[in-house]
Amino acid sequence: MKFKKFMRSPKSEDHKKASQNVKNVINTEVEQTIESIQKHTDHISDVIFKKIPTEEGIVTLIYVNSLVDKMTMQVMIFIPLANHLHQIHQVSEVVSISDNAAIVSKLMGGQTLLYFHEANLLESIDTYSASTRSITNTETESTVIGPQDAFTESLETNISLVKRRIKNTNLKNEDLTIGSETNTKISILYIEGIVNEENLETLKGRIDKVNYPSFTDISILKQLIEDNPLSPFPQYYMSVRPDSIVHYLLNGRIVIFMDNSQAAIVCPTSFLEMFISIEDYYNRWTTASLLRMLRFFGFFLTIMITPMYISALTFHPEILPYELLLNLQESRSRVPFPPLIEVLFIELIIEVLREAGSRMPAKVGQTIGIVGGIVIGTAAVEAGLISNILIVLVATSALLSFLPPIFLMSNTSRFVRYIFILSAGAFGLFGQMLAFAWLITHLLRLNSLGTPFMTPVIPRKAGDLMDSIIRFPTAFLKGKTGISRSPKK
Amino acid sequence: MSTHKQRPLNGYHVIFLTQSAMIGTGILTLPQKLSSLGYSQAFVPLLFGLIACLTMWPMIWLNSKYKNDNLFRINEKLLGTWIGKSINIIIVLSFIIFLAGIISDYMNLIQTTALTEQTITIPVLFFLLLLLYIVSGGIKSIARFCIITFFLTIPILYFLRWSIEKGDISHVLPLFNFNGTEFLNALKEGYLSILGYELIMFYYPYIENQKKAFKHALIGVWISIILCLITTLVSVMYYSEWQLKNIEFSVLHLFKAGELTFIERIDIFGITLWVFLILSTVAGYLWTAKKGLDSIRSKETKSHDYIITILIFLLIILPISQELLERLFKLSNYVVYVLIIWPMFLSIIHLLRKKQVQP
Repeated sequence: MKFKKFMRSPKSEDHKKASQNVKNVINTEVEQTIESIQKHTDHISDVIFKKIPTEEGIVTLIYVNSLVDKMTMQVMIFIPLANHLHQIHQVSEVVSISDNAAIVSKLMGGQTLLYFHEANLLESIDTYSASTRSITNTETESTVIGPQDAFTESLETNISLVKRRIKNTNLKNEDLTIGSETNTKISILYIEGIVNEENLETLKGRIDKVNYPSFTDISILKQLIEDNPLSPFPQYYMSVRPDSIVHYLLNGRIVIFMDNSQAAIVCPTSFLEMFISIEDYYNRWTTASLLRMLRFFGFFLTIMITPMYISALTFHPEILPYELLLNLQESRSRVPFPPLIEVLFIELIIEVLREAGSRMPAKVGQTIGIVGGIVIGTAAVEAGLISNILIVLVATSALLSFLPPIFLMSNTSRFVRYIFILSAGAFGLFGQMLAFAWLITHLLRLNSLGTPFMTPVIPRKAGDLMDSIIRFPTAFLKGKTGISRSPKK
Repeated sequence: MSTHKQRPLNGYHVIFLTQSAMIGTGILTLPQKLSSLGYSQAFVPLLFGLIACLTMWPMIWLNSKYKNDNLFRINEKLLGTWIGKSINIIIVLSFIIFLAGIISDYMNLIQTTALTEQTITIPVLFFLLLLLYIVSGGIKSIARFCIITFFLTIPILYFLRWSIEKGDISHVLPLFNFNGTEFLNALKEGYLSILGYELIMFYYPYIENQKKAFKHALIGVWISIILCLITTLVSVMYYSEWQLKNIEFSVLHLFKAGELTFIERIDIFGITLWVFLILSTVAGYLWTAKKGLDSIRSKETKSHDYIITILIFLLIILPISQELLERLFKLSNYVVYVLIIWPMFLSIIHLLRKKQVQP
């Protein structure tokens, strides 16, 4: 102590003595505040408390190391602290010392807190700079023509990808935080004047009611706010392509982004739109129409082909002409199973191949593909377990199930096919038709954000049919589609 | 396009509700039912159409006087609660029997053609479950189902191509080679095939544009009449008079004339696709019967749907003697015939009691 007193300059000694009592009071308060923050961030090892002496006395920096980049800290905090302290005060924002919840949430949001001991002042500066990946092209929805960029897992990047395409102040984005445990940030995008206000209210109401603790991807939110969560059909469109999101935004739909998830969801959507790829608008109308027809009828074919085989062979052999029947019977003359078991067997093998293929490392996957395709396929036929005509049918229907541009729809067709297979196994063609009637009724009764799912067909909207299974030349497609219920026609 | 409207049915819904309710199993046996007229039956559906128009006019007129009430309520208002309710009970009971009749007819047909090695109990169960699913969506859901049914099943007409090629158009002449009794006989037997348009008396309160309802319903009726006309015309061209009289479900055999290299029996495909037509017909009747039960018990619950469906199931499945069933089905047909003339009677009462009854 004596040594310290000796070191002090006489000027500062006077000043110190005068304000000694006040200082003590402030110091204890500072200690208490820091202690309480420490208590709130107990056992979080990457919360850093760093005391730095500056012109305005000691400043304690508090930040979460993993959410902040070192370079950013250097530029935003350390250099100004050492040289131009007034800069810090210009960009920072004052936080109330007693508001512990705000302090912790700012800290967890990647902000840096600066505690000026002498002034007993707590300020925060946004230094959130967690590392993100760069914009790459999409692997799940790739197209030949058109822009190749895809969303990333960063909310800011995704919104910037949209905003750089629509340079319009009517494009609004409203941020919300959901999930009591993850505190995930979501953003609702829409274009004012084009969007239907009633739809927007419904959607916000539904998001408000969501009471789910944690969100790891936007598809969880999607399932929570869908009209019929029990249905096998996805009722909202989902995409990672900025151009297709922008297309729907301009049509009057509402788009939801979530931080840390790549895809965005679009609502409302119709059944037909599940078969529309954004590339259709870049292709010539003839090609686009052909492809759309292929996808649409492909969906019905993929759920019908193998059940047809079952009902023809189990219940109605007379439906086939003599020569064809002979051919079929010959190919399965050594097969010990009834057609239903035979079909289920090979369909399950295909599912296994698909599932194994998607989980395996890419290099091993190829080998397994060859083993699965050639060895199992050929060997099973030669061993007399299944007929080779069935292999053709199953392979075709497996290929057809990949036609819908939305992967969720392709999964749906996989599931619905089993309903058809089982009903064909039970009652033949009649069972198949019953299942088909169920499918139609179910689709007719589905809603997407309160709008009928089958919209351009039933309830019909003649104008929208120009952009349905057949895509008319672009000059015809100016209006907003009926399902958006847009106030602007 | 709001889904919760007071009056959910638009023009298209009315057209196809009327149309689909008329086409069911009846059309399959129409040429046989009309066989007392011989070859002259070809244009008889047109006459039926005229009768349908004439009988529909009083229905619409009566309903337009009571815009918010279906026939069950009108019965109670005009005839007093007790008489009205007892008549409603008769209507509901006969509808239930009528429904059971349609379904068991179709299911027996399915059994003889498509499911020869099974009993119909379990298929009927699944059919009724599906029916419940359709009806539980309300009248609008039924109407939508009717629309899609029409467009799904209309391509069947293409399979008549071969019958037309092989048929002889000269069979149609002479046009009116029959006498009164023969015509009345054909009317009694064959008019059943175009029943269904009377349901408009029950869903009229749900129609959005009630002023044009008559026009829309007429369009629906005439679509069905034209389909019936095509059926009888092609049958007359293809069959001999003896065949017309003696072949059961002759319309199905028309499909068999088809020659495709990959499908031999188009009729099996046709008869199973027919399930859509049957579903759209019976869905309308079931919905109506449910409304009737609602008005009889003066409360609306979903359980009425289930009660009616269970009754239908029991009627089809229980070992009731075939003769008794046939007689019951006949009886229910006559009740529906009376139902067609009923609005005329009610209209007279309405005119007499105009001042006492508050519409």
